[in-house]
Amino acid sequence: MAEVNGVRQSRRLRLAVKRVIHSRIEIMEINKPIQHWRLLFEGEWPTSVAFLGNGRRIAAGNRAGQIYFWDLPETPPEVDKDAKDETAPDFAPARRLDGHTNGISHLLSTTDGKMLISSSLDHTVRLWDVSAAPNGNAEVVFDAKDRKRKARGKSKEEKEEILSTPGTSVETVKASHILEGHRDWVGSLGISRDGKRLISGDVGSLVIAWDLESRKKVSRWSGHPWNWAVATALSPDGQTALVSEYRYKRDDFDIPAAALKLWNVADGTEKLDILKVHLPKLDAKSSSYGTAQVWRKFIKGGLIAADFSPDGKLIAVGQGGETDTGKVHLFDVESGKLVRTVSGHRYGVCDVKFSADGQYVLSSGRDTMVRICQVSDGKEVAALGKQRGGQFKDWLHALAISPDEKTVAAADIAGIVHVWQLQS
Amino acid sequence: MHTFCPRHEHLSRRTLLKGTVATAAGGSLMNWGSLFNSQAIADEVKKGQKRCILLWMNGGASQFETFDMKIGRPTGGLFREISTNVPGSRVCELMPKIAQNMDKLAVIRSMHTSQIDHPSGIHLMHTGYSTAANIRFPEIGAVVAKYLGREGSDLPNFIKIFSHGNTGGGFLGPKYQPFSLSPDGRLPTFSTSNLKPELESRRNELRNFVEDLYARDRKVETARMHREAYEAARRLQKVHAVFKIDEEWDKYRELYGDTAFGRRCLMARRLVERGVPFVEVGQSSYDSHADNFVWHRGLVPPMEHAWVGLITDLEQRGLLQDTLIVWMGEIGRTPRVNNRSGRDHYVRSWSTALAGCGVKGGLVYGESDEDGVDVKNNPVTEGDFFATIYQALGIDPETEHFTGVRPIPIAPFGSSVVKGVLL
Repeated sequence: MAEVNGVRQSRRLRLAVKRVIHSRIEIMEINKPIQHWRLLFEGEWPTSVAFLGNGRRIAAGNRAGQIYFWDLPETPPEVDKDAKDETAPDFAPARRLDGHTNGISHLLSTTDGKMLISSSLDHTVRLWDVSAAPNGNAEVVFDAKDRKRKARGKSKEEKEEILSTPGTSVETVKASHILEGHRDWVGSLGISRDGKRLISGDVGSLVIAWDLESRKKVSRWSGHPWNWAVATALSPDGQTALVSEYRYKRDDFDIPAAALKLWNVADGTEKLDILKVHLPKLDAKSSSYGTAQVWRKFIKGGLIAADFSPDGKLIAVGQGGETDTGKVHLFDVESGKLVRTVSGHRYGVCDVKFSADGQYVLSSGRDTMVRICQVSDGKEVAALGKQRGGQFKDWLHALAISPDEKTVAAADIAGIVHVWQLQS
Repeated sequence: MHTFCPRHEHLSRRTLLKGTVATAAGGSLMNWGSLFNSQAIADEVKKGQKRCILLWMNGGASQFETFDMKIGRPTGGLFREISTNVPGSRVCELMPKIAQNMDKLAVIRSMHTSQIDHPSGIHLMHTGYSTAANIRFPEIGAVVAKYLGREGSDLPNFIKIFSHGNTGGGFLGPKYQPFSLSPDGRLPTFSTSNLKPELESRRNELRNFVEDLYARDRKVETARMHREAYEAARRLQKVHAVFKIDEEWDKYRELYGDTAFGRRCLMARRLVERGVPFVEVGQSSYDSHADNFVWHRGLVPPMEHAWVGLITDLEQRGLLQDTLIVWMGEIGRTPRVNNRSGRDHYVRSWSTALAGCGVKGGLVYGESDEDGVDVKNNPVTEGDFFATIYQALGIDPETEHFTGVRPIPIAPFGSSVVKGVLL
């Protein structure tokens, strides 16, 4: 008999409890992950990716402001497990979501998969009803570079045939709602687990919390006027916001000022300054070289990605920028203390997510890898993708986990959306 | 009675010898006498009281994120254009204040230069010349100091705040070396004596005595130059207040923007107002091989704020018409965005800007092609650009100096003044 919460339980009871928990929270199980899809999205960099409702409907956005989504077949084609990951099959998208006029910074979806939310450098956040009736059709070419590559060395006729192959016909859809209020690039986005609250931050440090049902602002606040709100996240209940601020270089001798704070969503008041807890002796206004170095060591190129754990007790923030090794810091929400530092991407982290069961923290980075680490001890249990060799070979700009926790997708700036099944 | 001065009151013999040897080496390599052939020209030019402030974008600001946007093209990037107060002219959204002062700028969108890396580019865009093994070319600041500077002034004639040039006075000699302030505009520590005035005076007398002994049997000008350098340093003591800007900063913080670059620009205005003919103000970190867009998003707004603050302040004081503001770096940036979200070095087509003294405002000169890959019309070389600057300042760009018997014009042979940008 084991004791749980002071109550002695039989093995059968414990299994029953576990089943109940499992029925509500999907467990991430990792066993020889395999890449199932390699979706071409050439042109401008894919910057963002999200699953919609299940592991087969995927949306991705790029730096030109385009968003597409794919409905992947139920059964993926057979993949040669021993082959290189470039052999994973491609599949054409079904829809294009039209409206943004500048790069997409983030994509999120509600857990029911009915709504996609996008933030953009065009200063807006847009809500999309993914099953809305299309308003038109368009022919698009996703593989222009791939075609050129294939046509290389071919005869003139063969070249022409390859290059002039018709593109894919996609339905076009417009946004169901536009959330306006930002006056600058919207660079960060977060959603509560219940899908009721949304938070967006811009590069003018303005943060807005939204009620998704009414589409109204709940509160708004600003950080340091020089800083950007580079990452935002909401607690599972939507009551607490995490905002990471960072100031990109203004000059060599200006400190790369940063802030990592928890805020009350209801009224936009500050709850906890996490960096002050961790670095109590440092004065952000000090311009001493030593101070700047301590900041830089902990923050690197900004804590540019953030997520709350599903139980709301931990937060994860990733060190971004072009740094030697970008790590993920895990902080305790209650005390603001650093719990541990996990993972390690060469040249910086791009995105961070907790698994739904809170057991793992996943991060994508500038080393073209997705790394999966155990929250409990920081041990890396899987690494998806492969480093492309040498310095500076593309980034995995964003990652997404399917609601059933079985699939992971990453937006690769080389013009690909990678989709991995976590169990082969 | 103790007849010896304490050690700290002495000019160190080693220091004196070091300075003397260095100065003598410079003097003996160059034909100093020939430099004075142009003295008459210099005296004439000085009557005009023109000045120059160089805003130096170290690392190379991107033309695509400032003055030469390519909206809708693959090379365009993430920023959008905004209208300016000059009809038909548009600039990057990062420069709203410049947009409202475009009528005061002449932008050259067709720079075509020859040195693509930093050290060589910094040399090129400070001197107008590529590096040469046997000639040490003077920086533009040194040339301006020679022709527009005032002999015996308390303030140096060539001042750098956050220095980036690398050749200084060159063959014009140590007299035209720049005087460098720290990045936050403070005086270097050596410029303030830690001796009491009476001890400082005794030290000076001793130094003069030793120098007189040295000069008595020698014909080289080393001793004179050495004494001049010390005299300049001593005169500087009288004008320390110029470098204390805290009080004025409170008043001008908003105009220049609350940044290190803003403070440097205010310092530059104070210096030219007090007769310094050339001040270089640097802003660093434009070498955006990675994260080009976020870096420019961080760097350009405070830069343009300070730049417009400087223009406004000079204009309000009636100084703009006699002060040339030059905005440039050593290179431009590539049309292609690399896989680090960066832009690399590029010199086939890039942008610079001029404002103030003798410059036509509201003008965009030259044009690049639709992707910004090449200059489409009116190319401007580094020589042309320097010739234009000298012309605007009233210095004949064909004025020659001599190293040995070799004539070296202040703007390279074959350079043409870009008359289109001048009044």
